[in-house]
Amino acid sequence: MTLPPGCAPLGVTGGIFMASGAGRRGAFEFTGGWREFAPIAFSNLLLSIVTLGIYIFWARTRERQYLWSRTRFIDDRLEWTGTGFELFLGYVFAFFLFVIPFALLNLILQGILMRGHPGAAAVLGLFLYLLLMYLTGVAIFRALRYRLSRTFWHGIRGGADSQGLAFGWSYLWRTVTGTLVLGLLIPWSMTSLWNERWDAMSFGPHRFDANASSDRIFLKFLLFYLVPFIVFIGSIIAALLVAGFTSAASAGDPIDPRAMNVILPVIMLLIYGFAIGLIAMTYYAAYFREVVGKLTLGGLEFEFDAQTWDWIKLYLGNIGLVIVTLGIGRIFLGYRNWAFFIRHMKAYGELNLDDFTQSTTRLPGQGEGLLDAFDIGAF
Amino acid sequence: MPLTSARSEAARPGLHVWHYDGVSGVKQQRLLKIHDDAFRLISPDGAWESYAFADLIARDTQDGGAVFALKKRPGWRIGFAGAVPEEIAEHLPRVRRYGGLIDRVGLWRSSFVFAVLAAGAITLFLRTPAAVARAVPPSLERKLGDLMVGDFGHRACAGPGGPEALAAMLQRIDPKDRTLDVRVVNLPIVNAVTLPGGKIVIFNRLLQEARTPEEIAGVLAHEIGHVRHHDVMESLLRQLGLSVLLGGLDGKVGGYTNTLLAATYSRDAEARADGYALDALNQAGVSPEPMAQFFRRMAGGEMKGEGAARIMTYFSTHPMSEDRARRFDQAARGHGGYRPVLDADAWAKLRAICSSDPDAEKPGFRF
Repeated sequence: MTLPPGCAPLGVTGGIFMASGAGRRGAFEFTGGWREFAPIAFSNLLLSIVTLGIYIFWARTRERQYLWSRTRFIDDRLEWTGTGFELFLGYVFAFFLFVIPFALLNLILQGILMRGHPGAAAVLGLFLYLLLMYLTGVAIFRALRYRLSRTFWHGIRGGADSQGLAFGWSYLWRTVTGTLVLGLLIPWSMTSLWNERWDAMSFGPHRFDANASSDRIFLKFLLFYLVPFIVFIGSIIAALLVAGFTSAASAGDPIDPRAMNVILPVIMLLIYGFAIGLIAMTYYAAYFREVVGKLTLGGLEFEFDAQTWDWIKLYLGNIGLVIVTLGIGRIFLGYRNWAFFIRHMKAYGELNLDDFTQSTTRLPGQGEGLLDAFDIGAF
Repeated sequence: MPLTSARSEAARPGLHVWHYDGVSGVKQQRLLKIHDDAFRLISPDGAWESYAFADLIARDTQDGGAVFALKKRPGWRIGFAGAVPEEIAEHLPRVRRYGGLIDRVGLWRSSFVFAVLAAGAITLFLRTPAAVARAVPPSLERKLGDLMVGDFGHRACAGPGGPEALAAMLQRIDPKDRTLDVRVVNLPIVNAVTLPGGKIVIFNRLLQEARTPEEIAGVLAHEIGHVRHHDVMESLLRQLGLSVLLGGLDGKVGGYTNTLLAATYSRDAEARADGYALDALNQAGVSPEPMAQFFRRMAGGEMKGEGAARIMTYFSTHPMSEDRARRFDQAARGHGGYRPVLDADAWAKLRAICSSDPDAEKPGFRF
């Protein structure tokens, strides 16, 4: 009797040991290829266009089915079991429950303002803003919970018992607190919120445990405060260079000051974008290494090893792809991001399959509607 | 066939499959055997469970082998290694690719059908607002206008003689309608807007930039044209309809009100409003020629670039072209007997409607 592939040494025995050191396969592996993915991406694009975007929910599902199925963790691949219909339903719910009431409240707000009650308008505006922030927190939590609950590995799924309503409050006050003191508490608010939502998540019988700390990323966060100085000094240098070039080129003619009025802001904007982008990459790379590195599940520890330069390459690649293909390359961004994410994920430790049993968390009924409505990404 | 029919069901060789039961994460091996419309999964110790083929759901293939899930049993999977023998394959459901409906019809055919439906939906969405806008009762429209702007609080100007001059101008251009509500608002914007419910707002800066009362009369007649043609409601409904229609692509909470307020009209609507204005001016004996000069002055850039106050100009909402100016010029030809729309005294009072009103709030953004 021959065993089907994949059944052999690991299946029936319990404990799995992994060490993702040199010479061995890592715990995570992405086995997809863009040629294999292209037919999915292009048919998704076609169907999304002819259905005026409604197919986007089914398109996203097909994309995830492919990406998950080409992601091996230890000895078996992941499986995405979400459906396009539940994503669609989630969006419709969110639209009627939140988007339309918000639009109406906004209209009333304008009315109050135009009638000359700035005080009342400010109160209502602040209330709307805080409510939106609360709902954003709930949306982030629920999207993560939905994604885990639809991800299967070894026939076992993840999930969370909490509905995310408490996380919404946490998100609200921590985000507000984070912006106090010149934003110095932002790293703390980001890591503590990550810890709180991942601590609520589980996979199979095991709870995730997140212990990220803002200490190790704080110095990199301080780089953001250098931006004004970089822009100021960079602009002066650039202005001098431009002045030098143009006067050299026009051989004696003074530079048109109006041309300078246009060139200088463009240079400043470029330097600003470049500095912000570079620092954001540095900070975000450190943040992601920290939060994933302090995450455990049962006997498993995780690690994310992408450095700043890896993130820059990813983003430059993404931007280049979109520009060179005149925008059509957008359909490959999800693929690129996922491949990047999986390639840099590592896991160590031990998982005993004998007590790796089905999740007992409640299955959420619909998808990431709220998140879609507010147009924000998960993680 | 005698050989196979002689064999008993139990003696048939089963097929090895891998199996997750959805309860434990341990990958198991089972022997799959057909049993009428059902199949049995037999474990190595001989115990078996029976399942209906109809309850299977095809999942993606894995390493070339088909994988199936079971209805109402999350995580339950069986997977074949390599090709599945015909006698089993004929019982198995097909893989869903694009979605149930599209798989049945085929990708290209369903794309074509969707494209036709989409074209129909877009046409419907572009046509319907005009019809609906005409059906909206005036009282409802007025309420909507009130909701959006109210009476502008202290921004509306009422300097001595100003409102009377405005009323006189309105009376000349449009003697019949009493429901129009025209106000001057103290904001440094060279523009005039029409809001739902026959509310027309002229911004103070426009009054200051105008050289003759006829220019203001022309702008006013143009805005009355928008009121008569229900252009505001139509534009609002169209924006709303499009944002719902395209909601699947990009749904954002913010920006809705901005869309509402920044609602612009189509070129057709502008041309129709111009046509209405020309008729109204000629019937009222007001020369449309200054309006043409006004257009040329605006288009010539004479009024551009004087600081941030000019960011919102007439251009942003009213496409400017030499054609429009020419149309007003031509309308003036062959007509005679134009009389001034306001005398010099009334015109001076109208222009000072904000500066002479101590209650009018000064321009500036305090919100």
